[in-house]
Amino acid sequence: MEEYQNGSEGSFNSEETDGIVKECIESVVAGDDYSQSQVNKWTASIVERCLTQLVKQGKPYKYIVTCAVMQKTGAGLHTANSCYWDTAMDGSCTVRWENRTMYCVVSVFAVAIA
Amino acid sequence: MDDYQTEEETVFVVEEVSKIIKESIEAVIGGNAYQHSRVNHWTTSVVEQCLSQLSKLGKPFKYIVTCIIMQKNGAGLQTASACFWDNNTDGSCAVRWENKSMYCIASVFGLAI
Repeated sequence: MEEYQNGSEGSFNSEETDGIVKECIESVVAGDDYSQSQVNKWTASIVERCLTQLVKQGKPYKYIVTCAVMQKTGAGLHTANSCYWDTAMDGSCTVRWENRTMYCVVSVFAVAIA
Repeated sequence: MDDYQTEEETVFVVEEVSKIIKESIEAVIGGNAYQHSRVNHWTTSVVEQCLSQLSKLGKPFKYIVTCIIMQKNGAGLQTASACFWDNNTDGSCAVRWENKSMYCIASVFGLAI
């Protein structure tokens, strides 16, 4: 039991991160329709916001946040990730979000600092 | 002189990684047309091949490889990434590739141990 709680602090908490990422996406694009002129700004805002919230947690991690926004036109989109790291300490979290006109896929990778 | 050689081992070398990514993409999907039934297999093959070539370099790095394949039908796609790391030793490299029927974007992030 005690070990489990210590484990939470010392390894990546993907539920918490999931919540943080969802909030960041919603705060940037909820209610908007896909717009070619704005999408650049949106992706940049989403990754910056996520990164800021994650760093605020003060955990000993390096972070990589990626975001892809795609217009809904029926095209197929596939993404894959592969990681070469310490499986005990490091972790990732991917959030898929959509509205009527676009898809948004955000991935967070957290790598523990020794 | 000695210091320079030591640095080479623990700094992310973008050119080298870019070459590895391009070769992996070409090897997996070069000459193929977008096929819904195969694209799942392609994305995983591209990332696995990149990762195995990267780990063969034997550098003290952790790697994250991502790959996106999108069918060409006029849809807009925008990607962005932000990183919180050590600017001196860590780095990333993204390669954009396309053929007549699809786009492929592969990124590698290298973090020094």
